[in-house]
Amino acid sequence: MTRIVVDNVTKRFGRVTALRRVSLDVREGELFAILGPSGCGKTTLLRVIAGFEVPEEGRVMFDDEDVTFKRPDERGAVMVFQNWALWPHMTVYDNVAYGLKVRRLPKNEIDRRVKMVLELVGLKGLENRYPHQLSGGQQQRVALARALVVEPRVLLLDEPLTNLDARLRLRLRGEIRKIQRELGITTIYVTHDQEEALALADRVAVMWNGKVVEMGTPDEIYHRPKHLFTAFFIGKTSVAEAKVIDADGNYVLLRIGDVVIRALNHGVSVDDGSAVVVFKAENARLKPMWRDCAKLVGRVLVTMYLGASLEIRLVPHGYNRDLSFYIPIEEEIPRPGEEVEIYLPVSSVHAYPVEGLELVKEILGE
Amino acid sequence: MIRKPLVRSDVASMLFVVVPLSILIMFFLAPIASITTGLLTFDWRLLLTPFYVGLSSVVSPITVTHVGGETLIAIRGFDMGVITNSVLNALIVTLATTAIGTSVAILVGLFDFPGRRLFAALAMIPLLVAPFVNAYVVKLLYGFNLQGNTVSAVLEALGLHVKIGVAGLAGVALTQILSFYTIVYVNVLATLRAVDATLIEQAVNLGSRGFKLVRSVVLPLIAPGVFTGATLAYMLSLEDVGGPIVFSFRKVISYQVYLFFRQYALIGGGGSAAALSLLMLLLAVIPMIFLRRYLSLRYYAMLTRGAPRPLRRIKLGWLGKVVAYLVVLPILVAAAAPEIGIFVLALCHRWVGPFPTGFTLNNYAVLFSEPGVFRGIENSLIYVAIAATAIAFLGFSAGYAIARVRSVVTPALDALSITPLAVPGLVMAFGYFVFLHGIARGTPLDPLISPAVVLVIAYIVRKMPFTVRSVFAGLLQIPSSVEEAAQCLGARRLRIVKNIVLPLAWRSLAAGLLLSAVYILSEVSLSVTIGALGGDITSPNHCGPITFVMMSLIQSPSTIGGAQPQAVAAAMGTILMLLEALILFAALAKLGRRGIVSIAM
Ligand SMILES: Nc1ncnc2c1ncn2[C@@H]1O[C@H](COP(=O)(O)OP(=O)(O)OP(=O)(O)O)[C@@H](O)[C@H]1O
Ligand SMILES: [Mg+2]
Repeated sequence: MTRIVVDNVTKRFGRVTALRRVSLDVREGELFAILGPSGCGKTTLLRVIAGFEVPEEGRVMFDDEDVTFKRPDERGAVMVFQNWALWPHMTVYDNVAYGLKVRRLPKNEIDRRVKMVLELVGLKGLENRYPHQLSGGQQQRVALARALVVEPRVLLLDEPLTNLDARLRLRLRGEIRKIQRELGITTIYVTHDQEEALALADRVAVMWNGKVVEMGTPDEIYHRPKHLFTAFFIGKTSVAEAKVIDADGNYVLLRIGDVVIRALNHGVSVDDGSAVVVFKAENARLKPMWRDCAKLVGRVLVTMYLGASLEIRLVPHGYNRDLSFYIPIEEEIPRPGEEVEIYLPVSSVHAYPVEGLELVKEILGE
Repeated sequence: MIRKPLVRSDVASMLFVVVPLSILIMFFLAPIASITTGLLTFDWRLLLTPFYVGLSSVVSPITVTHVGGETLIAIRGFDMGVITNSVLNALIVTLATTAIGTSVAILVGLFDFPGRRLFAALAMIPLLVAPFVNAYVVKLLYGFNLQGNTVSAVLEALGLHVKIGVAGLAGVALTQILSFYTIVYVNVLATLRAVDATLIEQAVNLGSRGFKLVRSVVLPLIAPGVFTGATLAYMLSLEDVGGPIVFSFRKVISYQVYLFFRQYALIGGGGSAAALSLLMLLLAVIPMIFLRRYLSLRYYAMLTRGAPRPLRRIKLGWLGKVVAYLVVLPILVAAAAPEIGIFVLALCHRWVGPFPTGFTLNNYAVLFSEPGVFRGIENSLIYVAIAATAIAFLGFSAGYAIARVRSVVTPALDALSITPLAVPGLVMAFGYFVFLHGIARGTPLDPLISPAVVLVIAYIVRKMPFTVRSVFAGLLQIPSSVEEAAQCLGARRLRIVKNIVLPLAWRSLAAGLLLSAVYILSEVSLSVTIGALGGDITSPNHCGPITFVMMSLIQSPSTIGGAQPQAVAAAMGTILMLLEALILFAALAKLGRRGIVSIAM
């Protein structure tokens, strides 16, 4: 089992800086997810680890071995590409056997291992099909089998499920998790789907704009985000500007318009004057359900039925904008213009220094 | 987005760059550069004498004589010295071919009218070239002579007692226009097909019609194709030797450089050839430099755009129909006539006057029975086999390197691999002579010792670009992740090429090779210069290829194997044309729209 250390890696393409001093530490046998919006540098980071790109600065280590300048074929890190990159002129069997043939294994050994891995990914009996004769899900499994069969030191998956429909995605991600556990291969899984990352990974790194902004367990990333971007990016969130009334190490007392609420403190001090508040809006209720609650009073602008939940656009009293909250559908439906109280657990309300507002505006493209 | 995988200090990968690059430096750059060495002792004032640059024409453009009850009209054009003639002729040919080619392409590509397919077919015929024979038949049909040409005979039958025909530079120009306009046609048509149909349909919706539509909307859209076609026609005119040889017009640059090989190469002398070669190179390259951005952009656009929606053709109005049937159709027929005439000449006993006489298959028999003639066929086949094999390796390497191997020298390879197309063959021939006769005198690389070896090398360099471009274009269709997937499984570069790239890209390679091969078979400039250094066709051991044999036969005054030598050349020409037709249309079908572009290059 291999530990991967990415140390201060910077990668530029001409004028574009795709990675800025990125550092990661992936433990042996871990399933590590890299999560971030499109264009943030996820693929580039994976390609640096695989050896397809050489960083301008920084190092990549596999255990104690510096592999920064090693060619991809010398690293033992196998990548599964977003488009799967199956070889159209080879059968499933030949696709999967290729890595073993390159390693010059004896024929019966190749046969045994190909059979085994095809069984593992549930493709038994399809050995002689060509890629174009397979469904999307089956093609994905071939790509996975082709990587697994060589028992790589490191498995790198670049959005492996993106091209599949939602149902299949759910099923395959369960299977990938199971297989990874069984084989214990150190795996990096790139995705822009936060649910996928949280469901699969032992730990998650959140990337934005070429940087790793935060690293932690899914629970930490979701419930105790240290960075504004993480808080904002994960889950359904709403952002508001607030005045600081009081602050200590753990909590901040804030005013949004005329409404006073309490929030978890992420570096706000009383002297700041104002702050940014991120609500994990999907945890909202119309009644207090927790001991430690934040309460927002305001007028309903509009409601939208979303199936499992209801979106309420609320204008807090004295505030100039509306904020979205999502409540379970069984609650009674408030009408537009009605005055309501919205409750959230304080653990779903995060306050950050006001400089972050620029970041949020940038992300929202305002 | 095309993502090139990075290849670092990987010896195998660098081979793909370095091998073709060194070949191109050694056998393209160095020979061209060495032409300049001949200039040190050259007195430049020579080029300003009236023989090279005249201020007025020494022949009258048209002479009209009355003999008996007959009027003789000879159209000679002008003669203002070697350099002026070449430049003016090239410009005239460019203008004429651009006007005709563009008009026909717009007519066929944009409008619908009865007979459209016939127009399209006629316009494609001059793509098939049988060097020298083509010009010879033009001379039979339209050339001035006292027995009268075919056109005059037809006029005679209509009761007009007039013998009219072209001679001298006018004959050269007519020959070139009739066959080169197709190059413009093909390029414009390709651009027209790549234009987003909605742009034109939008204009039609807004009420734009006919000439206004063409001028305001269509022409700007197809400008890249027009410029490319015009540039190519200009270059072909500049380096053409077939027309001048057949019309015995020596005062053009191309003929003068050719003359060097016929007169001076063996005995020394001919100092002005170097200066003329360089001048020709300059003249050929100037428009390329000016249009570079245009040309490469066009190229890029053609490759990246997906299949555009085909244009719904517009009904041609009555005025348009009048122009189409009364102006355009006669031109198309006049231009296709020489090609058809070649087949007639090949099958007739004798054709020197207005009409051919006597059907025979003997001309084909002579191809095999006359040792000197058959030797040419053997030579060509051997040359093509060797050159194509070398091009398969070098052209594939270069195409692959340009598409996939990132290195500091890759851009140089990219540029160098396409430039041989922009350098006139005669310039290359002269460069080879100066360079190899200079540094390799007495070795098998000396063109005077073994012209065949030098000829094959020159073929390889000059016709490789077709394969390079085809392989490159094919690789753009294959995502590089397909190769990276193999690489991270542990495969090295050569293995990846063998297992993954070749199985996926061999069609592009094959299509490119076919193009390279057919252009080698029909190549003229190198063939009649370097190819002539091994003796003429009376020697059964000469090393000239078929185009050299065709030239010799066209110039020959005496019968060969009981046949008219020109008719034997025509028989050879028909075989060449059939081969061209087969290969070009196979490549066309395989490559689709892209094929047209590379053919027209
Ligand atoms: N070969 C390249 N040349 C130039 N720019 C590149 C190259 N590869 C990536 N980039 C740029 O680097 C940035 C990061 O790209 P990358 O593909 O790593 O993003 P990503 O997070 O994988 O996005 P996605 O989710 O869309 O796949 C982008 O701005 C991209 O345009
Ligand atoms: Mg990506």
